[in-house]
Amino acid sequence: MTNQPSSNFATAAARVIDARKYYGTGESEVRALDGVTVDFAAGQFTAVMGPSGSGKSTLMHCVAGLDMPTSGQILVGGSDLGRLSDRELTQLRRDRIGFIFQSFNLVPTLSAVENIALPARLAGRKLERAWLDQVVETVGLGHRLRHRPSELSGGQQQRVAVARALAGRPDIIFADEPTGNLDSRSGAEILAFMRHVVDEFGQTIVMVTHDSVAAAHTDRAVFLSDGRIVDDIDDPTADSVVQRIHTIGA
Amino acid sequence: MFVLTLKNLFAHRRRLLSTALAVVLGVAFMSGTFVFSDTLTTTINGVVQVANENVDALVRAPQPVSLDFSQTGVTIDGATLDTVAKLAVVAQADVQIVGYAQLIGPDGQAVVDQSTASTLGFNWSSSDELNPFDLIDGAAPVNGDDIVIDHASAKRSGYGVGDTATVLTAGDKRAFRIVGVADYGDSDSQGGAGAVLFERQAAEQLLTSPGQVNSIVAVAAAGVPQEQLVDALTAALRESADAPLEVITGQQLSDENRDDVSNSTGPFKTILLIFSLIAMFVSAFIINNTFSITVAQRAREMALLRALGASRRQVTSAVIVEATITGVIAAMVGLGLGVGIAQLLRALISALGIEFPDGSAVVSPGSMLLAFGVGVAATVLSAAAPSRAAGRVPPIAALRGLSIEIVGSSRRRLALGAVLIAAGVGLVLVGLASRQVALVGLGALATFAGTAVVGPMLVRPAARALGVPLSVTGVSGDLAVQNASRNPKRTARTASSLMIGVSLVACMTVLGASMTSSFGSSLDKNFFGSHVVEVEGLDVPSGFSTQLADEMRTTDGIDVVSEFRLSRARVNDETGTTDLEAYDAATIGELIDLGDVEGDPAKLGTDGIAIDSDYAEANDLQLGSQIPVALPTGNVVVTVRSIFEPTVWIASQFMDTAAFDELLPQGMVYRVYALGDANAVQSVTDGFPTVQVLDRDAFLELVSSTIDQFLAVITALLALAVLIALLGVANTLSLAIFERKREIGLLRAIGMTRSQLRTTIRNEAMIVALLGTALGIGLGTFLGWAVVRSLEDQGFDTLTIPGVRIAVIAILGAAAGATVATLPARRAARLDILDAIR
Repeated sequence: MTNQPSSNFATAAARVIDARKYYGTGESEVRALDGVTVDFAAGQFTAVMGPSGSGKSTLMHCVAGLDMPTSGQILVGGSDLGRLSDRELTQLRRDRIGFIFQSFNLVPTLSAVENIALPARLAGRKLERAWLDQVVETVGLGHRLRHRPSELSGGQQQRVAVARALAGRPDIIFADEPTGNLDSRSGAEILAFMRHVVDEFGQTIVMVTHDSVAAAHTDRAVFLSDGRIVDDIDDPTADSVVQRIHTIGA
Repeated sequence: MFVLTLKNLFAHRRRLLSTALAVVLGVAFMSGTFVFSDTLTTTINGVVQVANENVDALVRAPQPVSLDFSQTGVTIDGATLDTVAKLAVVAQADVQIVGYAQLIGPDGQAVVDQSTASTLGFNWSSSDELNPFDLIDGAAPVNGDDIVIDHASAKRSGYGVGDTATVLTAGDKRAFRIVGVADYGDSDSQGGAGAVLFERQAAEQLLTSPGQVNSIVAVAAAGVPQEQLVDALTAALRESADAPLEVITGQQLSDENRDDVSNSTGPFKTILLIFSLIAMFVSAFIINNTFSITVAQRAREMALLRALGASRRQVTSAVIVEATITGVIAAMVGLGLGVGIAQLLRALISALGIEFPDGSAVVSPGSMLLAFGVGVAATVLSAAAPSRAAGRVPPIAALRGLSIEIVGSSRRRLALGAVLIAAGVGLVLVGLASRQVALVGLGALATFAGTAVVGPMLVRPAARALGVPLSVTGVSGDLAVQNASRNPKRTARTASSLMIGVSLVACMTVLGASMTSSFGSSLDKNFFGSHVVEVEGLDVPSGFSTQLADEMRTTDGIDVVSEFRLSRARVNDETGTTDLEAYDAATIGELIDLGDVEGDPAKLGTDGIAIDSDYAEANDLQLGSQIPVALPTGNVVVTVRSIFEPTVWIASQFMDTAAFDELLPQGMVYRVYALGDANAVQSVTDGFPTVQVLDRDAFLELVSSTIDQFLAVITALLALAVLIALLGVANTLSLAIFERKREIGLLRAIGMTRSQLRTTIRNEAMIVALLGTALGIGLGTFLGWAVVRSLEDQGFDTLTIPGVRIAVIAILGAAAGATVATLPARRAARLDILDAIR
């Protein structure tokens, strides 16, 4: 298992520099991000933790190019997101970012394998056969690959989602509460699968979660509260995470 | 519950907007039709009534054949006026003489286009009360060379008092001196018609015959009621006149005229009403589809209501109330737009070359109420099935997600659809064979319904096939195919609504092409002449002077000539009247193929008639049989002297022009057929500005362009039905986009560009539109084929399916589908990703 320094400039897949995101003005102003600076190292599995309203989802949306910070800079693989047009942002998401959402990850009219190949097809590319086979094998769905999402269990659907995110070999994969809708066994399977993807393929994954058990599968846990980073630990365990959460007072 | 419904309506006003739009357009078209035809009837009636405004009694010959107000019938002795004028109950009286007269402008062209308006000659009445014309310049005509012309003609031609102008009448063409210009009532012309007013003797000579007038009109002395006047006239005329005369009150005359006007505008009203009902039928499809979709989308809401204790009935009636409110509001808006549509219709009909007098719009409450009622009823009835579906949502559904549409057991669906289609096709064929339009309509409806029922089964394979060319757009094409087939019922209903309009357009296209090609082949086979001479413009029966044919008969280089005349007549005591034809019986066989002829047409004489063999068989007639014929000028009995083979060129019977000369003096020639040298023909017709000479090619061209013109107008009328259906396509898409919001958000998040998303939605619309268009073309071609086949015995011997035009319809259908999808596509592309995936 890798144990890299938490902010290695040379190998950062994404960097956030003094990001602020404010909603509203005056009395009703909400500071979703209040000066966040963080690097997500390449090849690392990072958990972003914090209570509801801590800004963890906003942070993820900003780094993933789905939302824009009010101020500050976000770099993904050397691109400054603030300087990209909507079209370029879309292409960046397509080619260099992978997504795993809590639910509704798959296009219901497409089969599992079609969903996996979708970002490549959107780019007008064909996935390399050998690579696709390797990904598909890793997912381990076997004959169910031709099935529509509605014919798969929740856990299977999330596996397909991970495979879809992985298939494009993105610089970074963002996972938003990927186990939130799953029973604990399926959840554990997905987390193990993500861990495997990081170890096997050197894939960078950033996972937003409030589940300390989930965080225990990662290399590093970043804690947010009220839009600020309040803690940052390497090799978290369920216990150490719970302890931190108590300290933060969430 | 009612309050909840209202809140619901308000919350989803955008969703109902396009449903409402379908109703609005349907009602607008229908009320526009009513406004247009009511206005037309009222205006024409006004023009006609001005002529007889002050008439208290009219004396005329009994009418053997009832004629339209513009036609002239049996004349009476002009001396009768003396008897009438002498009576103490009569304050004023005068004769009425009317006939064909066309003023020729300084440029040698007819001043009033005869194909779009009538051109009439009258006697100038010295009675102010009885003369609807008022001089605005010059004086009344005094001698035979004087004429007064209407103000509009003066303006158009530039003629003024003192100018000399040529006038064509039925038997003559000569120069007159313009001595006056007159207005007609409050306007400058008689509803657009051209009028030439002669001094009485000249009028008799040119329009009827010397000493003969069409009628006598009288104004009652002060205090004498119309009935008393009529009684006095009847009594006085019984003694003096040698022929029986008919006397009617001014009121009766006015009623007769009003009926004539209604009869002449009736067909317009009926045709337009049919088109507006088609549009309403398509609207009903759209409304039904929208309510079905929204009920499905709101299944959880319905279920929640049920779970909270609402009864089935309450849920169902909530949807009905929603539909009623939508219908009422939309129908009201539609009525408002109706007046505008009436203007559009007027412009459209004018484009056909038919002129109508101007008049302010007539909005009759009865017609409006009917259009309103039909609109609301269509909305509520279309929502009936979806509302029942809403009631059937089980309370437990509140806890489940959106259900996935299941297309009912294919076998039952197929069976029902097949039965409906078979019954529809059968009805169409039976209806055509027995000439029952209602059966044809019912059959077409059943076929539409049947196709709509099997539609959902066709969606998946059809979408896949139509998607093949779309695969060039990559993943956008694939996704569009998937999306189009994920709700087969919905797609089928949307496509079906488009199918209706398209099928009618396709049917008319096939009919038009077949008419043209059948006419062309018949021209080749059955017409031996070289030239056709007729009035310029459209085929509204209007004629020209007999002098033209007379000149042609004596011109070197023209070998064979036959006139073609028409008169309203009742032949062989049949119930309705018909257009009885007359030709130069001696020569017509050299110009038109009469097949194997029994008896010599040349020997028809003035009391003979030729009939075709079908007519002879149907009425059990042989050579020598006697047939009674009622003509506007009187009753005669004619003898069958010739039996010819049926041909499209000639009706079932014809008489000799010599007979018409005798029976119908001042008759008009409708057409002249000739065989001869082009220059020789042209040299004669140059002297007759209202006519055109057509060689064989030009004649074919004229007929096919006339057919095309009618086709264009009918297509324009059907365009509304197509437009409503396209709105439905856009509406279905909008609803689908609303439903697939999360999916769209996901696609955008993982890298679908806005333009890819727009393409996907446009592709989906194109698939739906193409499906509807393809079904429509198939069905329309069948209907066209069936109609052509049924008219085979009327000369439709060639079925032509115009490939290029049909391909154009298909391409336009797909393009229109993509176009209407632009707005929903743009809205989808603008969706905020974070909002959508939340």
